[in-house]
Amino acid sequence: MVFSLLLKRSKTPKPLPLPLPLPLPTRNPNPLRASPRSTATSPLGLSIAYGAGALSGTWRPSRCGEASRSSIAPLLGLRSFSSPATTAAIAEPPRTCDGLTVDAIVGKGWTILDEGESDWRSHAAAIAQSVQVIKKRLQWGRMIDKSMQLSAILNKSDLWDDPDYAGRISREHGEIMGKIKGVNQFEQELVEHIDLLKLAREENDNELEAESMRALLEMRRKAKEKELEAILSGDNDSCSCFIEVQAGAGGTESMDWAAMVMNMYMMWAQRRGFAVTVVEEMPGEIAGIKRATIKVHGEYAFGYAKAEVGVHRLVRISPFDSGKRRHTSFAAVAVIPILGNVSTKYQIKESDLRIERFRAGGAGGQHVNTTESAVRIVHIPTGISATCQNERSQHQNKASAMAVLQSRLDQLEIARQAQMNAEHTQSLSEISWGNQIRSYVLHPYRMVKDLRTNYEVSDPDSVLDGDIDGLILSFLSASLDKNEDRA
Amino acid sequence: MLLRLPFTLSSALLSPPLHPHRSKPFSSLSSSPNPNPNPNHSSNTTLPLFLRPLSYSAPVSSLLSFRLWAESLALSSVDDPHLLRELSWLIDDASAHKHPRNDSLVPLRAELHELYELWRERIEKRRPFQYLVGCEHWRDLVLGVREGVLIPRPETEMVVDLVGEVEGFERGWWADLGTGSGALAIGIGRMLREDGRVFATDLSSDAVEVARFNVERYGLKDKVEIRQGSWFEPLQDVKGKLAGIVSNPPYIPTSHLPGLQPEVGLHEPRLALDGGENGMDHLLHLCEGSASALKSGGFFAFETNGDAHSEFLADLMTAKWGKFFHNIKIVLDFAGIKRFVTGYCR
Repeated sequence: MVFSLLLKRSKTPKPLPLPLPLPLPTRNPNPLRASPRSTATSPLGLSIAYGAGALSGTWRPSRCGEASRSSIAPLLGLRSFSSPATTAAIAEPPRTCDGLTVDAIVGKGWTILDEGESDWRSHAAAIAQSVQVIKKRLQWGRMIDKSMQLSAILNKSDLWDDPDYAGRISREHGEIMGKIKGVNQFEQELVEHIDLLKLAREENDNELEAESMRALLEMRRKAKEKELEAILSGDNDSCSCFIEVQAGAGGTESMDWAAMVMNMYMMWAQRRGFAVTVVEEMPGEIAGIKRATIKVHGEYAFGYAKAEVGVHRLVRISPFDSGKRRHTSFAAVAVIPILGNVSTKYQIKESDLRIERFRAGGAGGQHVNTTESAVRIVHIPTGISATCQNERSQHQNKASAMAVLQSRLDQLEIARQAQMNAEHTQSLSEISWGNQIRSYVLHPYRMVKDLRTNYEVSDPDSVLDGDIDGLILSFLSASLDKNEDRA
Repeated sequence: MLLRLPFTLSSALLSPPLHPHRSKPFSSLSSSPNPNPNPNHSSNTTLPLFLRPLSYSAPVSSLLSFRLWAESLALSSVDDPHLLRELSWLIDDASAHKHPRNDSLVPLRAELHELYELWRERIEKRRPFQYLVGCEHWRDLVLGVREGVLIPRPETEMVVDLVGEVEGFERGWWADLGTGSGALAIGIGRMLREDGRVFATDLSSDAVEVARFNVERYGLKDKVEIRQGSWFEPLQDVKGKLAGIVSNPPYIPTSHLPGLQPEVGLHEPRLALDGGENGMDHLLHLCEGSASALKSGGFFAFETNGDAHSEFLADLMTAKWGKFFHNIKIVLDFAGIKRFVTGYCR
């Protein structure tokens, strides 16, 4: 009876694992690179080149079309559940017939061998270990608490008086339940395969045993993917974001470096299929930028980009130094999520705003015909401001600047709630120049090294061309796994 | 619920009810429509660049050399970073929006040599960028413009917001006097409900043609009616029934005209700029006429030459014409200049 049931289930085709969240970056089709002197602008403004010298200011964002929805759906959940009843099921971890749970399997300390070795204990141990990593990365305990809270809200009778709010809560609950359910199903699958395998051995059914072994191996591979996917499970990870880069002290050399860093992100975003728009830019007098803000639009843009927050250091022979000396320069990077979740949004009062035309001057009106319509918006109570100059009408510059301002204020709000939320990223003004996260050395040797993870890349050109996924992921997984498990 | 939608940035370019393939070139409104889309036909060159068909193409490398040539030309004449931005926009408008991946030929809406000519005109003759590409981005609209029609200014965008704050505006009848490209009329027309209307007048037949083109392109023919004539003249039938009047009339004092920046002074229509000896001729006429054209409680918003003019006008309407108008206000533009005078009819 049990046997046939299990057998049937094991033959059901498993849903194929979703593709890795990290499609290998395709080589940038555009051969133009942004090494310090290579200022080149594609005729369509498709690639971006920060100019050293005369052409500075010509850079434009890539027009890489609509942000494609990347393949990284929050994968663990296949379906969302909104019934609070499912929460109860979570409490009881799946067990094998002889009472093994995932934690118990890890506790056994079975040796984990190569995937090639057909040893079910090794597979089971590897999978169980992955499940623990996934739970840790998802902040399992916190997630369960949150699902209970949301269920409680959903059960309130007056919830749908505010359909907007109710919809958000219900969606959020669905997402979380989906993730929980996904992990539970995975655990369930593991214990079932173990049972099945043991059963096959008792019955001397070689075929079934081989099949279960294959299934375990498959699960083991899938588990590795899920570990990666779980990296992007932070509250705002799925949001689009703004990336801001500011040059450190050191004049033209460091402004050029800031431009190179910004260019790196634009090319990275383009590879990932994110849409990039330049929101604000203050070009340097001779080359590079003093400061710039881009908007990176696409799913999980913030989740990845938040790994870049901090100070980036460059060592090279400066092309701006006629003495050909080695220079060290710095650029600070801030990343701000564009919140989709309205509950954390900062409420801006219209009366608190002062809107100015940037570089105002002259009589204006019919006297002047200019395509320059930059707008600066100042939030008077906080003194925070935002500028946009890249749109073709003042109205749209205002709208863009407003979006930046909203996000900056949201970020403040997040910081204010930082005690509850460890996901807080710093704004440019908060980033201390001592907080170096990565070092790019072009001379006397060539290497990029992440100072937080010691992850190294020996080809700085590829990194400056936007190939930074390795650096990002190593940091994200390291920082998540380092966090105390609050489960 | 108002019918005002928050238009996103992309919607300005992509999603207004545009039917570029159906919209006629400006001149075809007066002549018979030409079914032959021969790009060499003169009527086609009057279409805004971004609406012309992708009839041409050029290798990426040629476009790149055009860009480099244009950049050096721009930098050799005036040191103006906006020129480089304009150049990018020119190329944006002239080529397909989509990235021609792995394709060495870029589809174009004008021949490459035409781009060279246009850019030379921009730099050497100081021809306004908006006339080059035949359009101006204004609020969330992309309006066709051409020589003979004033290029709508960013300051004027705010007039639409002022109208949007008037209680019950969306059901009223509005007048935009001296509509030019139709910017204000269309901006307001898009916010109105079914029973709301805009009557837009202009003396210039160029303006009337361009405004009609723009109204049609935004699918507002049922809401916005363009009438040719001077100020209130074509509006006799709605006299005393208007919920509001807006206008950006010519207000530059005649003596200032020779000193204007070349883009304005050499290329834009004098009819749309010259405000008479002290710049107030038309504004005074408008204020006077509004007293009888507006219904009781009707709103007006006029753009002025700024500061002293606004103060003068506001004082006049409060004191001398106080029996006709009330609640007179001066509104600043984003540069902090006292740009607009608004008020209500008693």
